Amino acid sequence: MTNNRLDQIQIRDRIYRYASAVLVVLVAIAFAFPLYWIITGSFKTGADINAAAPVWFPSEFTQINYEKLLSRRSAPLFDFTIPALKITAFGYTVKLGTVLKITGPTVPGAIRWLVNTVFMSVASMLITCITAAMAGYVLAKKRFWGRTVLFSLIVCAMALPKQVILIPLLREMNSLHLYDTIWAVIFPIVGWPFGVFLLKQFSEGIPTEMVEACRIDGASEWRTFTDVMFPMIKPGVGALAIFTFINSWNDYFMQLIMLTSNKNLTISLGIATMQGESSTDYGLLMAGAALASIPIIIVFLIFQKYFTKGITMGAVKG
Amino acid sequence: MANKVITLNTKNRRLMIHETVTSYLFLAPFLLFFVMFVLYPMFMCVYTSFFDATMGREDVFIGFANYKTLFNDPVFWTALKNTMVIVIVSVPITCIFSLWVATVISKMPVVATSAFRCIFYLPVVTGSVAVTVVWKWMFNNYYGIFNYLGQNMGLIDKNINWLGDEKYALGCIILILLTTSVGQPIVLYVSALDNVDKSLVEAAEVDGATEMQAFWKIKWPQMMPTTLYILVITTINSFQCFALIQLLTSGGPNNSTMTIMYYIYYNAFKLYKYGYGNAMGVILAIIIAILSAVQFKAGQEK
Amino acid sequence: MKKFLALLLALIMVFSLAACSVEKAEEPAPAPAAPAEDAAPVEEAAPAAVTELTLWTYPIGGWGNQETVDALMADFEAATGIKVSVEYLNYTDGDDKVNTAIEAGAAPDLIMEGPERLVANWGAKGKMVNIADLFDATDLEELNPATVAACFADDATAYEYPLVMTAHCMAINKTVFEAADALQYLNVETRTWNSTEDFLKAVAAVNEYTGKQVGAVFCAGQGGDQGTRALVNNLNGGTFTNAEHTAYTWDSAENVAALQTLVDAEGIEFDAGIVGGDEIALFYNGTLNMAFCWNIAQQLNPNTADTGAGLTASGDEILFMAFPSDSVPQLCGGIWGFGIFDNGDAARIDAAKTFIKYFCDSEATADAVKAANYFAVRDTAEGADLTGIWADNAIMNEYNVLMPMLGDYYQVAAGWAEARTAWWNMLQAVGSGADITESVATYAAQANAAAGA
Repeated sequence: MTNNRLDQIQIRDRIYRYASAVLVVLVAIAFAFPLYWIITGSFKTGADINAAAPVWFPSEFTQINYEKLLSRRSAPLFDFTIPALKITAFGYTVKLGTVLKITGPTVPGAIRWLVNTVFMSVASMLITCITAAMAGYVLAKKRFWGRTVLFSLIVCAMALPKQVILIPLLREMNSLHLYDTIWAVIFPIVGWPFGVFLLKQFSEGIPTEMVEACRIDGASEWRTFTDVMFPMIKPGVGALAIFTFINSWNDYFMQLIMLTSNKNLTISLGIATMQGESSTDYGLLMAGAALASIPIIIVFLIFQKYFTKGITMGAVKG
Repeated sequence: MANKVITLNTKNRRLMIHETVTSYLFLAPFLLFFVMFVLYPMFMCVYTSFFDATMGREDVFIGFANYKTLFNDPVFWTALKNTMVIVIVSVPITCIFSLWVATVISKMPVVATSAFRCIFYLPVVTGSVAVTVVWKWMFNNYYGIFNYLGQNMGLIDKNINWLGDEKYALGCIILILLTTSVGQPIVLYVSALDNVDKSLVEAAEVDGATEMQAFWKIKWPQMMPTTLYILVITTINSFQCFALIQLLTSGGPNNSTMTIMYYIYYNAFKLYKYGYGNAMGVILAIIIAILSAVQFKAGQEK
Repeated sequence: MKKFLALLLALIMVFSLAACSVEKAEEPAPAPAAPAEDAAPVEEAAPAAVTELTLWTYPIGGWGNQETVDALMADFEAATGIKVSVEYLNYTDGDDKVNTAIEAGAAPDLIMEGPERLVANWGAKGKMVNIADLFDATDLEELNPATVAACFADDATAYEYPLVMTAHCMAINKTVFEAADALQYLNVETRTWNSTEDFLKAVAAVNEYTGKQVGAVFCAGQGGDQGTRALVNNLNGGTFTNAEHTAYTWDSAENVAALQTLVDAEGIEFDAGIVGGDEIALFYNGTLNMAFCWNIAQQLNPNTADTGAGLTASGDEILFMAFPSDSVPQLCGGIWGFGIFDNGDAARIDAAKTFIKYFCDSEATADAVKAANYFAVRDTAEGADLTGIWADNAIMNEYNVLMPMLGDYYQVAAGWAEARTAWWNMLQAVGSGADITESVATYAAQANAAAGA
């Protein structure tokens, strides 16, 4: 009797398990569908796109959407200027003439947007990792005046939606002459304290004795950090790197506010602008969406392991 | 004896000064960005919210007038209501759905687990703009896939203007938001399930507990911190939903998808009410702070 | 590793400094106390010759097309030595972009749009340069008086110099109307509807014939709102503003009745999911058989399917029409020209004026007008005759029947930007079944509040 009941329960468990597995597969298909729709849509002809019944698979593959995308609004591949610096403070003006200005060959706007996006993501990633590693280390391992206050400020700032500060930030970027430059997007990303929080949590896991031992050996603070601490928190830094890279690639709001010129747009913003211009040319929009998302998806798939680690690490002690 | 204590104290103090100086040197690069691009604008946001700031003239100090207007602005209340609806609907669904997916896929072979984890994370990686653009097409009134499927499966008898009808628009926004926000919780839950103390589960199974019982009695309590973290990040995430609204509905139709986030943008860049927008930002920040605090308190008590 | 990191950090810091003021190095720095836009224009001791200007343009015919504009700018550079870098805005988020740029103190030197933005909005907010001195006696004689009136904020202040104009109209799919036997309700020669009632009969006939929606009162945003405004106003003889342009009159009984008619009309739906541009696309691909957002530029454009100008994607013939009215239709005018943002630098303002003179009042004007695909606002420019530039274009000549129906250019009323926002919000409310009288009153009050402020 008891055995029988146990069997029943086991059978029920098994049915539940299989049924839910099937359900998860179905849901996963639904989740992957938009991406499938972007990629196939970008190769569809106008007739396929506007067909009354959806064309599940392109009846013929056309490149016209990509050609259209690349024929819009050209821009130089890059501009590089050092330094055209002019700072005004308290009525004094420091002015340096342009020493060097290189302008790249003219390319389709979408290519320039990609270049901007890559530059922005890489720069945000590098600066964030370095500043956050240094700050995370001292917050975890040192006792100093103002530490508690600073840490609570960091935690509070993390909960605040970035969008709240957009208006003051815009005015500030203007007075710093950063408006409509890619740096106006990068700096707020770097200032966002999530990375510090993450690496502080990670650094706390490193035994303090190691740091102490190093100091007793007479190593300088900087050496302790670079030779002992940094190698040990490298996995954490790696996770933060990939996390920042993907998030800044997909950040939209800051870019929308800070960038205007065609040559300064990022790929997300470029696609959004394109949507404003030809909101019903879905073939073109899908080509744009594919160009914006495929590179980052590839990066994600390559570094998937680190990424998963990064997400979980932030939560360990959250 | 007393002498010794004093020396120790001075020594301590000297050490403290040394530590403080080096610490701040290490903190300097981060603090530069943090203070300039997060703290200072935050302060300015609160400050400007007491001014009538608009295009074309100096800001005028008006005290709490912006806040007063705010509480009498019906659109603000609509926006607040919509924002709350988004949060209240999407947060529990996100948590429950991702918990369910995580339990199912964590029992699968490792390859399958990581493949599914990847798929559910894809909408997050794809980026809000690309996701929005394709959903806009799928929701299209005239040749969108939803209307086609709905009609063919007999669920609807005439095309529904999903994003253009105030009955459905907010629901559509929430649906898209859900697909882009379950990725991270699933990853978190999968790893939390991995870290559950296996011996306890085995012991329970030996005692004849069903899978369900083992889950709720043993695994669930151990995953509480993860759940709490997920609650907090999902809440913040839902509050920040902006690209969807801006690109799909601009707050319409008839303000049915107007959220505070979008209303701030709308006031600032369509109506030039910068001070008013800032006041709204302050209120939003306070609401989020209270909510996060409540969630933390609730979590800690459990 | 450590050295590499240090080097990297140093490099990044240098770059971030270097990038700080790339584009803005030549602009005068704003005074620390006051935002740049408030600074009065100050003559610099020795203004360097300006060699670069920025122009932002909305998609006004070919002026939204990079190749066309590049050619025009190359001519201008050859003539004056001034290089113009151009940014292209769209009607979905273009206004937001300009507003953001103004708030950030980075507005362009020149902007191309109509008086509703240049005069009534940014001009009224003190962002534009008064260019009344560009209008000399000959110009005032040559220019169409209505456009001049629209470009002047008061007797001595002008914020825009006009280049082209048109009348906004609507369009129908002639092939489908013919098949539905609905052409009897309109006059193909004069492009007018016999009466409002006949317009509704035509809609009903097409609706019955095709079994689907005929037209859409689009209201997802402000794009193309001139179409919905003209439709509502003409239907029952209502107006948008009073004659002095000081108050909005859409809460009048005529407009309420017109909205009620549209709500009741079988075949016309309020669509809060699309804007004017989407409507045009839906009209082109045959989903809709009537478009309210139309003008000569659309009529001349070969559509995306490349079947040719004046045809839909499936080759149906498109007929441009005046809006339905029981008396003479009052068409909404479009005027486009250039304005100068006040960036406080006299030399740049002078250069921008040179630009305006070159394109609006010289031998180059003919090309500039042709690029826009619209009608010139003057018959002659500095002796060059402009009357014949469209002589060989049959469609342009046909379109001339609509030009006398141009109504009051009310878009320069105070609080315009807020009013048009209130307008599409009102349409959304009405479309979702709210009480018409009440919604119209609420939103008209909002618009009037902005007008009074």
